[in-house]
Amino acid sequence: MSKQLTFKSASEMPMISVSLGDMEWNKTGAWRTQRPFYEDKTPPCSAACPAGNDIVAFIQKIAKEDFEGAWNIIKEENPFPGVCGRVCFHPCESKCNRGPFDEPIAIHALERFVADFGSCLSRKTGKAGEKRKEKVAIIGSGPAGMSCAFHLARLHYDVTVFESFSLAGGMLRMGIPSYRLPKDILNREISDIEALGVEIRTGVSLGEDLRLEDLKDYQAVFISTGAHRSRGLRIPGEKEKGVLSGLDLLKKINLSKRVKLGDKIAVIGGGNTAMDVARSVIRLGKKATILYRRSREEMPAFEDEILEALEEGVKIRYLVNPIRVGQKDGLKRLECLRMELSEKDESGRRRPVPIPNSNLFIDSDHVVIAAGEEIEASFLPEGLEKKEGIILTRRDGSAGIKGVFAGGDLTSNQRTVAHAIGSGKKAAMAIDCFFKGKDGEEVIIQHLIGEGPSLSIFGYLHPGERLRNSHVVTFEELNMDYFEPAKRQGESKSAVKERIKGFKEVSSTLSEGVALDEAERCFSCGTCNECENCYVFCPDGSILKREELFPHQVDYDYCKGCGICFTECPRGAISLQGEAK
Amino acid sequence: MKKIEIPLEENLGHGHLACAGCGAAISMRLTLKALGEKTIMVFPASCWSIVPGSWPYSSFRITAIHAGFVTAGATASGVRAALDVRGDLETQVAVWAGDGGTFDIGLQALSGAAERNEDFIYICNDNEGYMNTGTQRSSATPLLAWTTTTPVMQPKENPKKDIMAIMADHHIPYAATATIAYPEDLIRKLQKAKGIRGTRFIHLFSPCPPGWKMASEQTIKISRLAVRSRIFPLYEIENGRNYTIQEESRIVPVKEYLKLQGRFGHLTEKDIETTQKNVDDTWERLQRRARC
Repeated sequence: MSKQLTFKSASEMPMISVSLGDMEWNKTGAWRTQRPFYEDKTPPCSAACPAGNDIVAFIQKIAKEDFEGAWNIIKEENPFPGVCGRVCFHPCESKCNRGPFDEPIAIHALERFVADFGSCLSRKTGKAGEKRKEKVAIIGSGPAGMSCAFHLARLHYDVTVFESFSLAGGMLRMGIPSYRLPKDILNREISDIEALGVEIRTGVSLGEDLRLEDLKDYQAVFISTGAHRSRGLRIPGEKEKGVLSGLDLLKKINLSKRVKLGDKIAVIGGGNTAMDVARSVIRLGKKATILYRRSREEMPAFEDEILEALEEGVKIRYLVNPIRVGQKDGLKRLECLRMELSEKDESGRRRPVPIPNSNLFIDSDHVVIAAGEEIEASFLPEGLEKKEGIILTRRDGSAGIKGVFAGGDLTSNQRTVAHAIGSGKKAAMAIDCFFKGKDGEEVIIQHLIGEGPSLSIFGYLHPGERLRNSHVVTFEELNMDYFEPAKRQGESKSAVKERIKGFKEVSSTLSEGVALDEAERCFSCGTCNECENCYVFCPDGSILKREELFPHQVDYDYCKGCGICFTECPRGAISLQGEAK
Repeated sequence: MKKIEIPLEENLGHGHLACAGCGAAISMRLTLKALGEKTIMVFPASCWSIVPGSWPYSSFRITAIHAGFVTAGATASGVRAALDVRGDLETQVAVWAGDGGTFDIGLQALSGAAERNEDFIYICNDNEGYMNTGTQRSSATPLLAWTTTTPVMQPKENPKKDIMAIMADHHIPYAATATIAYPEDLIRKLQKAKGIRGTRFIHLFSPCPPGWKMASEQTIKISRLAVRSRIFPLYEIENGRNYTIQEESRIVPVKEYLKLQGRFGHLTEKDIETTQKNVDDTWERLQRRARC
């Protein structure tokens, strides 16, 4: 209110009328018909991440040069940032809202940057305090099993992982060549999980050394034995000597790198395993030809993999389908039919049909079949239901026997590292619910990212923190006035002639400067990053800077509800709601 | 994106009477951040006779003097002279006049003061009409726009007066255009003006939601589109001769700007073409001036 002034005589009064009071008494908020409020929403990248990474949150930490903060955020959801940053097929990037503007953020490269930075940190993960009395057995130490172990250990359970092989890592160790995923990266991330108190017992096979009945000490079991059996072609001669399975060959190469092979190798298949085999063969100094029954467009292998394979000298023959493996002069002789594409099949790809009498012959020292993998169900405990090549589970990962859960490649046809990590995390949450008598399915639905199926365990562990509306922010909801086109910064790759000399990693981690530039490109969809546009443009000075929950707050005493903050928020982190008047 | 940095100092308090989404309120808030507390501002009749509040209250944290409609140039000259007599060279004298008080009613007093190179910053808050008295046309109203005195049956026939050219031809040391969608540019220009003595003229473009028949949340968007469509280019003129144009990299057709405003709702495709041509011609003329 106005200051009270007392004038003792006329001479003390000003010559003209003067206003000395302020207008604070005039609460212009009463004019408002719509109310702006801060409300973080779901970015499309996180919603698309099968591992449930909080991508915007960690990229914003990078942008603020808080690399340790970024590392901690990734580790909330995913124990394998170094692995994912290298080998994940990054569906987050295809959904990135920066795509329609110029190019998506190189999310995988940033994740890898953080992971490699994290390796310089002291092991802050430490042991997860006092253990609870319940014990959980995990069968299979691939990404699903280890992710489940990691999260259960964080939840203070006593976890033992059983692995049939002599080293932990599953498909990450055996199926992925080290030029894509160096073994020290994998070892580092596995030992980080062990540091939480997880025990890994190697050389124990389910079915042979271990049966479900032997696990009486464990109140819950998570089965994640993967899909390791090569799917055959069902053609004559495929069982003969000189015909190898792609995965078996990769395992051998990954273990010893000294594998006896002839000079010419024919690889059958168009997926990532075929690429991995062919590129590994090239690194052993041999010639590799991939035979694929459809065309380049239908190839399931990742585009980058195909490009790198071609650069390295892998030959790819499209539209050929082997029908018989024969012999000639000590060589394998593949009899093939030429194919042509007809209508689309249920996978959405054009179906290849053979051209009659188009038989051709391809000679090679070895034939490698890399036409997909399937699960080995023979050693699995009775009572698990199998359908269409996978083990059936409920939404929470429970598998039909009380206390038994399953995940990873065993239970899904989406066989990627990120899906496996996500399913391990889901099972960890469900197992926690199982022990605490909560409805696992219900809890999982509550913690979906956006519409799901991606899942966040952070919200489960820290209720009320980093809350987000499940609405996934679209490109149209962003304000592009504040962004300039900027080139995407990717990793650099070593020269082809260096690459093919051995199994050294092809791509390199971003430098700090490049990572900062790339993080700077992130729109931070739906997530306030304190750009302060709302503060700058408010006509009524009604945006207050507060440090607590949100960096800013609306002063509803004076906010007239014009909506400028809502429009000028570049990232859709402010909502506008009608007020009843 | 680069964070927009503006001074934290607030010299426009809460509770002022500007309409929701008022462009001029943003202009004022930013201007007072740039000029600082030690400012005496002269106000001829305009929205800002009303907006700060009625006696004995004011939302200003600076000294404001209300003056007659025609007298801004003269009043400011007098205030400056009084300060000079008291030896106060620190306090800035500024004028805040609307386009009516500048382009039309106050032009002679402004012209006189500018010719004498009086030492003040004259800020013309241009909302392209007499928005405080019922949205009548001024000589700042753009071609073909609706106002209550240029109804849609007979929208404004004449293009907007080129006030910047008029002021430049007074050979004043500094003249600049600015608008709220570019707050750092606006503040930089005011701070630059602050460091110069003599008559300095700032042409501020402030969208008016009720007068322009536009949504209140579009104020900044429209301010930005005015620059991007070259309806209101950003530039500076030093000593009436040296032009510096702040070029926008993302140019849009004038239609993008017009379509968000009800005052242009009656425009036909042909009218839009006419407007575009007018804008192109004005832009070309500006560039020609900038070259010589």
